[in-house]
Amino acid sequence: MSVNFSEPQRQSAAGIITSVLYAMHQIVRAVIIPLVILVVKSNKEVLVYTSIGFLFLVLIAVIYGYFHYLNFTFYLNTTKQEFVINKGVFGRQHLTIPVEKIQQVNINQGFLQKLIGVYSLQIDTAGSDSKEVSISAVNGQIAYALKEHLLNGDTKQTTAVQHNLTHQDFVAQEIPFLKISAATLLKIGLTSNYGRSFILLLGFGYAVFHNIKELLKAFDNEHGQVEQFFKSGFTLISISVLFIVIIAILLATNVIRTLVKYFDFQISRQERSLLISLGFLAKKNTLLHPNKVQVTEYSQNYLQKKIGLFNMALKQAHAGKEQSESEIKRNNMEIPGCSPLEKDEVLRVILGKIPQGGTRYAPNFRFMNLPFFFSVLLPLAAYLISFQFIPETIAFYPLAIIYVLAVSLMIYISYTKHRITVSEDFIIKQSGIWDISQEIIEPHKIQSISTWQYPWHKSLDIGHVTLHTAAGNISFNYGNYTEIKLLVNWWLYQVESRQKDWM
Amino acid sequence: MPHFTNHTIDIQQLPKYEATLLTKPDPKYWNIMVINLVLFLVFMGTGLTFLILVKAEIKENWFIWTGLLLAFVAFLFLIFRLSFKRRGFALREKDVLYKSGIIAETTTIVPLNRIQHVALNEGFLSRMFQLGTLQIYTAGGSSGEIRIAGIPIAQAKAMKEALIQRLAIHLETVSE
Repeated sequence: MSVNFSEPQRQSAAGIITSVLYAMHQIVRAVIIPLVILVVKSNKEVLVYTSIGFLFLVLIAVIYGYFHYLNFTFYLNTTKQEFVINKGVFGRQHLTIPVEKIQQVNINQGFLQKLIGVYSLQIDTAGSDSKEVSISAVNGQIAYALKEHLLNGDTKQTTAVQHNLTHQDFVAQEIPFLKISAATLLKIGLTSNYGRSFILLLGFGYAVFHNIKELLKAFDNEHGQVEQFFKSGFTLISISVLFIVIIAILLATNVIRTLVKYFDFQISRQERSLLISLGFLAKKNTLLHPNKVQVTEYSQNYLQKKIGLFNMALKQAHAGKEQSESEIKRNNMEIPGCSPLEKDEVLRVILGKIPQGGTRYAPNFRFMNLPFFFSVLLPLAAYLISFQFIPETIAFYPLAIIYVLAVSLMIYISYTKHRITVSEDFIIKQSGIWDISQEIIEPHKIQSISTWQYPWHKSLDIGHVTLHTAAGNISFNYGNYTEIKLLVNWWLYQVESRQKDWM
Repeated sequence: MPHFTNHTIDIQQLPKYEATLLTKPDPKYWNIMVINLVLFLVFMGTGLTFLILVKAEIKENWFIWTGLLLAFVAFLFLIFRLSFKRRGFALREKDVLYKSGIIAETTTIVPLNRIQHVALNEGFLSRMFQLGTLQIYTAGGSSGEIRIAGIPIAQAKAMKEALIQRLAIHLETVSE
């Protein structure tokens, strides 16, 4: 059975349930704490009214969900090669996406969708009129068939055969060339992304603190016990033990987060694309076209070097100016923890070959001047001046010495790691202090180039260059300006003499 | 491919972007910048006069505040002049160049086959002086884009036309 997409069609009927439940989920999450407080504090009469109001909300959600389902249709215009979505309960919205502009199709199955047996399909486009489109409930067969149509453009009969396959067969037919085991994820969790986990932990800690206080308030028992507990805690436990506990919690969070997020991470080849699947409870599948990757990045820190692991990120076009954090994350496909062999395999699929050789350029030592001035001299001066006014600060001078030494060392390392390697087919930018990353771009992915120079660097022949790509900028600073100009002319020649498309 | 050649490329012989002759913005654009500056001065001056009349502390030291405002405007004037002198653009066969900058001197180059679209803006003041602002967009985000202000409107229109035509030619060759 081949699925025909040229006729307008609705979502899977189970889609009503998901959209209703989704609306309910949003409502419940928004009102749960006030609701609990209300239930605890109020009398019977108010309770009755609340439940009537609540039922009314449910009814509205059901009606809205039903009409949303009725009015939501999508189809593929095969002659114009456009994907069209019509939707809207009150107003009508008409979305047209040229198939060639589609750069990624995601098929997700959340926990709820798993229960009903539907998938959601999400279409990412690139270009100045970037619009993100999603269909929230289709059955697996349609989802995978549609994905194939959208990513491979022309609707060939040969590919239609595969539409019969169920999801399991679909994944099983290709042997993944990259599979990340739980053990590798454990190692990666222990060695990377401390910053992100720290922020997560802070947020979580604050939420717990806040919610406990809210609950206590609801029971009229709030007398600052939470603050009291923390105060007494600080006097009882010595700071050093607390420090170790925090680090242990941080590492544990990091490991758990990495495990849950990237559980069962696999990459396999799918005709011209890469199929990436991951997820613990909710399985996430992404089909990615190598041509559409703009910047390929791999990074490694000291610990990961010892155990031979790399982190990779495949960055795609984000073009639009209004970019939320989550959008950037979705555009960047991250591969946590791959061995040198697997890294080379991914590079080979994305770039066609492994970048080798080329000329390496290093920055001038003046690279360190500005960071040294702002991060070392200025704080140090502020500290020394504070002696005059607050004599107590003198006691902290060992900390100041440690700070100056550590930051100076970091600036020096960032200077030694700031390199650009240029070969016929690739430009590789290396940077970092702890995590040393290599960003690889092909010259035809360059959108525009900026060069700049401070007037006082003219006689020293020092300048900077930024390569603007659709997935962000790549800069090489404080280089030899004569060499930079030569390189820019060379890159311009490469971009302008070849009719190679950037995506 | 009958005319296929494959010579070795000498990087030193490639066209040099830094040696391109740049066209300066129209001198009339300086008038627009000065008018904007004067408008700013009038706006700030009105605010300051109001404050001097209302607040006693400012009234006492009115000459300091007026001096500060004048110094600030003089500084802006100098910066504007410097930035105006620096500006220049060029339309080459295969790319567009734009040089600008207040402290650092920045040159941005957009290859024609990477242009997404082109916009021509005419402000109220620009219309009076018959000037236009040409804006060239790429997929590389705002930092890599070019905005050339103060081009005589006839020239700006011709440039836009030329750019769009090349864009169309490029699209045709790709779709073939």
